[in-house]
Amino acid sequence: MPSTKRYWKDLGELDRSSEAMKGRDSEFPGPLPIDQVLSDKGFAGATTGRRDFLKFLGFGLGAASLAACETPVIKSIPYVNKPEEITPGVANWYASTYYDGTDFASILVKTREGRPIHIQGNPRFGINRDPDLTNGVINARINSSVLGLYDSTRVRGPVMRHGENERMAHSWADADKAIMGRLDEIGSKGGRIVILTPTIISPSSKAAIERFRMKYSTELDGGDGLQVTVGAQVDHVQYDTISYSGTATANLKCFGKRVLPSYDLSKADVLVGIDCDLLSGWGNPTENSWQYAKRRRPENGPMSRHWQFEARMSITGANADMRLAIKPSEVPGLVIGLHDAIAKKAGATLIGGGADSDAISRVADELWAAKGRSVVMCGTNEEGVQTMVDHINWMLGNYGATIDLDGHQRLHAGDDAVMLRLLADMKAGKVGALIIQGVNPVYSLPNGAAFRDALAQVGLTVSTSDHADETASACQWICPDHHFLESWNDHMPKAGRYALTQPTIRPLHDTRQWQDSLLRWAAADVDHHGLIRDTWRNAWAGHADGGTTPPFETMWDRALAEGGYDAYAPARTEQMFNGDVQTAASMARKAVEGAGDWEVVLYTKESIGNGLHANNPWLQEMPDPLTKVTWDNYVCMSPTDMKNLGLNLYLGQEAPASVVTIGVNETSFDLPVVPAPGQRPGTVSVALGYGRGANGEEVGRAACLKDEDGEPMPVGHNAYPFTSLVNGSISYHVLNATITPTGATYPIAITQTHLTDMGRDSVVRETEFGVWAEHDPKNTYNPPATLPVHVDVNEDGEIDARDREDVSKVDLWEEFAVESVGHRWGMSIDLNACTGCGACLTACVSENNIPVVGKDEVRRSREMHWLRLDRYYSSDMTQERAEEEGIGKIEMYTDMEHPSEMPRVVFMPVMCQHCNHASCETVCPVAATTHSLEGLNMMAYNRCIGTRYCANNCPYKVRRFNWFNYVSPKFGEVNPAWDDVGRMVLNPDVVVRSRGVIEKCSMCVQRIQAGKLEAKKAGTPVPDGSIQTACAAACGTGAIVFGDLNDPNSRVRARSEEERSYHMLEEVGMRPNVNYLARVRNIETENEA
Amino acid sequence: MPHPVRLSHRSTGLVQAALVLLFSLTCSWSIAQPADQAQYDQGEKLFKQNCASCHKPDKRMTGPALKGAKERWDGKGDIHAWVHNSQEYLKSGNEYANALYAEYNKTLMTPQAISDAEIDAVLYYADNYAPPAPPPGEAPVPTGAPEETPAWPWFLVLGLLFVVVWMSLNGVRKGLTNAVREQQGLEPAPDMTMWQGFKAWAWNNKVFASVLGLLITTVLLVTLWNWAFDIGVYGGDGVAHYRPEQPIAFNHTLHAGKASDKNLQINCQYCHSGAEKSKHAGIPSPNVCMNCHRAVAEGRTPDGTQEIAKIYAAVGWDPAANNGGGAYTGEEHPIHWVKVHNLPDHVFFSHAQHVAVGKLECQECHGPIDTEMTVAEQWAPLTMGWCIQCHNEKEAKMAGNGYYDEIMARLKASDDLGHRELKQFLEDEKITVRELGGWECAKCHY
Repeated sequence: MPSTKRYWKDLGELDRSSEAMKGRDSEFPGPLPIDQVLSDKGFAGATTGRRDFLKFLGFGLGAASLAACETPVIKSIPYVNKPEEITPGVANWYASTYYDGTDFASILVKTREGRPIHIQGNPRFGINRDPDLTNGVINARINSSVLGLYDSTRVRGPVMRHGENERMAHSWADADKAIMGRLDEIGSKGGRIVILTPTIISPSSKAAIERFRMKYSTELDGGDGLQVTVGAQVDHVQYDTISYSGTATANLKCFGKRVLPSYDLSKADVLVGIDCDLLSGWGNPTENSWQYAKRRRPENGPMSRHWQFEARMSITGANADMRLAIKPSEVPGLVIGLHDAIAKKAGATLIGGGADSDAISRVADELWAAKGRSVVMCGTNEEGVQTMVDHINWMLGNYGATIDLDGHQRLHAGDDAVMLRLLADMKAGKVGALIIQGVNPVYSLPNGAAFRDALAQVGLTVSTSDHADETASACQWICPDHHFLESWNDHMPKAGRYALTQPTIRPLHDTRQWQDSLLRWAAADVDHHGLIRDTWRNAWAGHADGGTTPPFETMWDRALAEGGYDAYAPARTEQMFNGDVQTAASMARKAVEGAGDWEVVLYTKESIGNGLHANNPWLQEMPDPLTKVTWDNYVCMSPTDMKNLGLNLYLGQEAPASVVTIGVNETSFDLPVVPAPGQRPGTVSVALGYGRGANGEEVGRAACLKDEDGEPMPVGHNAYPFTSLVNGSISYHVLNATITPTGATYPIAITQTHLTDMGRDSVVRETEFGVWAEHDPKNTYNPPATLPVHVDVNEDGEIDARDREDVSKVDLWEEFAVESVGHRWGMSIDLNACTGCGACLTACVSENNIPVVGKDEVRRSREMHWLRLDRYYSSDMTQERAEEEGIGKIEMYTDMEHPSEMPRVVFMPVMCQHCNHASCETVCPVAATTHSLEGLNMMAYNRCIGTRYCANNCPYKVRRFNWFNYVSPKFGEVNPAWDDVGRMVLNPDVVVRSRGVIEKCSMCVQRIQAGKLEAKKAGTPVPDGSIQTACAAACGTGAIVFGDLNDPNSRVRARSEEERSYHMLEEVGMRPNVNYLARVRNIETENEA
Repeated sequence: MPHPVRLSHRSTGLVQAALVLLFSLTCSWSIAQPADQAQYDQGEKLFKQNCASCHKPDKRMTGPALKGAKERWDGKGDIHAWVHNSQEYLKSGNEYANALYAEYNKTLMTPQAISDAEIDAVLYYADNYAPPAPPPGEAPVPTGAPEETPAWPWFLVLGLLFVVVWMSLNGVRKGLTNAVREQQGLEPAPDMTMWQGFKAWAWNNKVFASVLGLLITTVLLVTLWNWAFDIGVYGGDGVAHYRPEQPIAFNHTLHAGKASDKNLQINCQYCHSGAEKSKHAGIPSPNVCMNCHRAVAEGRTPDGTQEIAKIYAAVGWDPAANNGGGAYTGEEHPIHWVKVHNLPDHVFFSHAQHVAVGKLECQECHGPIDTEMTVAEQWAPLTMGWCIQCHNEKEAKMAGNGYYDEIMARLKASDDLGHRELKQFLEDEKITVRELGGWECAKCHY
């Protein structure tokens, strides 16, 4: 009888004995008898004395630490099928191209075991490369982009928005089906599909868009020359985050081409920049930089003369010979004045009513004297001003000489008018579908909120963004694009110049490059890779000359290996100026009417750029080259204005910045104020690109931190709402703002708190071109360092202060063998070629696994950068002046720290100087830092016990103490660079330092060792230039040169023997292996009073 | 069954082994013995010279198994013509030949310049071929062979015995002393515990006891110090070498050992190809194993065959597929080897520097891996002391290397300038690695 069958576990249960059944129903037995144990008499009377307790403790600790000595079992898992090109432990380099809609550069990508870990400029190919130099120019944004690949907050697959804020992951098949279904529906209704992108310079991407267009829209010949569109109307709208629309429109009206011309600054003897940061943020800075730097080294022939007119001190202004501060509202007057001054000489019609000053007539004279060898560049995005500038250049005969309209830039081709029309159409519900790629208009449009609202009026919105950012989070679908290091692409930055982007890693996530998405939705039978090959095949067929062209595959392989293919031969055409200067002048004047007390210049920082990569912690922690501030945007104000407003001028760890409310029309927000010597009084400047993710969008961790409650805390404020439409294009000038001090303060993380070099002549040396050219450096700008000695050197029979001996002859230590034995690695840094871009700094971060420490630690001066970029403003106070005016010493030194109203600026990259007689080495109690036979100052982290004596004894202050374990979760918020995904970016050849040790520049000893090994294996001496430190490789302008000082034919040796060469703080007798070349300014000597 | 003679376990084992050996030898002899030994031998020689790279006697490889080929061809075509020049023969349109050609992925057989008789000899060899039995040396070890017993239990027993004897002697001594004292009319000695006795003795012999105490403490401390040095060290003298169990029992001796010992003498760098190029010597990926093991499916022992099967599992090779010709299934399982030689993360070591430039033999650091180690083990201690000791003694291999010629030229030039370095270096008539910077921190730590 199964129904009565009983199952029992033990006899107690079988017997149903009450004792045995007690407590069976609870998971754990009843309460533990702790009270019993504690109340036990024996326990209370136990005599474990203090000593016994300590003994147990000691034993326990000892046992635990001994047990920890056991080596863990490490697995080693080889490939099943090893790819032929990969040898574990050996880096592969791939030529590729960076283009994000703004920056363009040909690059080399270093991969280790299939992971990209470093980016540097391509020395063999690219428009960012000086054909005579070995490097290509990149900037910090480009070499930091490798970290973006390993951003753990990337969208990892297609997602669809449900309701307000919920998003659900889907498969690509589902996404494609849904999106194609909607597109078909729109097509069948004859709706409008818009693809919104930044400027596309890729012929194949354009072809992909064309394929997409052909799928959803067919144009039929309706007879009588009429085109009839059947299906959807597919439009491609290009929108540049930073607009060049006014400039392009001016060129259209003047020369019939709506483009940005190419400039050749290497041919310009006189360069006039008006409100134009051409070395950092305007046009194509990677191309401008090398051309500019080429003419800045006086050894390269006549040095160019650079005038700069601007309101804020830009990187370009800091490099200029003559800089004049003007307000944005003064730009039209200045341009009219300059125009008329030149028109007088050229016999052209004058406009009249422009500014007139000595400076303008001098500039006009110099420009006229250098006709056809000069260039005027203006960064104001306003049609009127640009038209006049075009006419100035045309009168000077610069078209076809320094300015090239035939081989124009293809970058920055967006048209603000088209973008605004799109916005109006969206609002009116005339757009059926919108596909957004690579731009973030909700964030970066003057009226971004309107764009977000308008998105709701669009039937289908698809974003290919890699983050659920401001725009993407408002779209129905996010179909995430690959990172560029995972993608195929091609580019044509100029006619006939083809560049390739090739994938250097398999996609990390379930993403798909946007061109492939378009092709998929176009039901095309080809992927983007195939499309690129087709495009190139056709292009080469066009370039083929007389059957000598090698077969396609050969050409393709060569192009892949080198990064591209150059068939740059634009036909030269005569340019005729057709612009209307009078109308332009009145347009420009009208645009600056109603200027108020405060004018605002909105600019892009060298580190953050337009803000689309603001989530890159390397960039956030990179100090701004001029203000030295990290992790924030702020109001740059002239120190005079700050004094008048009673704001805090001195910033430091315990000296926070004053906060002001800056208001433009109805928009206003609070920002801290940072003193900016050189800023035109009455103007302030605010950087764009900050304030990402203010509404809680997932923009990536470094761009938007979280406070203690987990609320989003954007880094800085978004200043794009301050931009406005002026004469049909977006203006980055605000002519009437209000600035109100709030009385509040805000801590600022700043890495260099002193502004000047306090009159020392041994840190930075500079002179004028005339002095350099005609005088003996030893008696003028580059005197040898001497020390007073107790020997009658001048043989005047008296031992006094005049008895000075050359510092090289005075030494505590014996001569060190490195100066004649084997290698002596050294570096030479040309202060003339250094533009201050800071690409060296981020290259060092990437190469040497330097941790990001976050704003709070930077504020405590604990940033870990091995290479810093010092910036010195000149001061009006000098020792001579103090003597003349009878100013006391203390006052003199106080004044020396005050920069002039119109300071000159020097940038100076400083890393460990690898002194042959290093003061750090002699004070280390454990010999953790020692000298090598090759001239390197070595640092053994595992020996270091963290006394920091060395850092205290270093005159250059280049040793950094590692305070914390930056890989720990505590730093996860600020150091997202090294979370579980981010750690893949680490260079496996450089150890990750732990807390408690000093670290510093090793001169990339891992690269030196690798380079020597290559030479040994090949059985040849180390070829000069084959070993490059990360900073030298990143420096496309050739400011940093690395090599073997003991090699008589090396470039670094030649540089070190140049007349301008000096050692920093030579008088302290450290004998550094790094030398600097004194800064030469192309200014008249008589002006130097 | 009564045993006339009682044999020891050892001799039983020997007898069993001998029997097994004899049995297996007879078996293989009886199978492998062909009728015409001369033709068989000739065929075997020819086969190994000309055919073995594509054929096996009894299995498919690139080409078909040769066993029974004559029979298969019988009446369908001319096998001799086919072997002489298959391309020509295909043109004749022979159906069987063309089918064969299609079956083997249209791979042409290399024309063979051998006579018809020789072809017959090869086919005769193939027909009479039998797979070799495991070599006699590898015969299963007879059970019951005595294992080597460790010596320490004996010492323990001896020690205990000593303590017992000493204690009883002590008791006897005490009894005798008391008896003497009683005889002399003294009080019996106080009954002390052993510890009390020891203390009393130490008190009476202060100098000796303190010297002894000091000695014992010193020995203990020195032992502890030396022992502490070996913590985390898994190689070198007097330390148990690290020899983890590996997922595949790869036999280094068999693969890399001397040919004279019936080993294969494969160059180390055939598999560890990174050693000349990279900092890692690298563990070969299984596709390298397959270069040989695609053909070599059987080990010398059944165990060996099993291990080879593990490679097949890793690369996804099905030897039975494709009619015994084998095929990749696409199912790959990476092999999780256990890393034997582990250096700390803060040490940079480059194999290329030592192998390609320093021209060191692998064995100098890895020990007799090709002769004595079947399983890889850590032979050298891999301590920093061990590294720099070698750097201190080894002469840098400078001759014939342009890089070092340049270094030497600079040294000589500096010598001409009156610097002492070159003379100092050459005091011991050689330039050691250390003298060129081999003791510098940043050579290995960065």
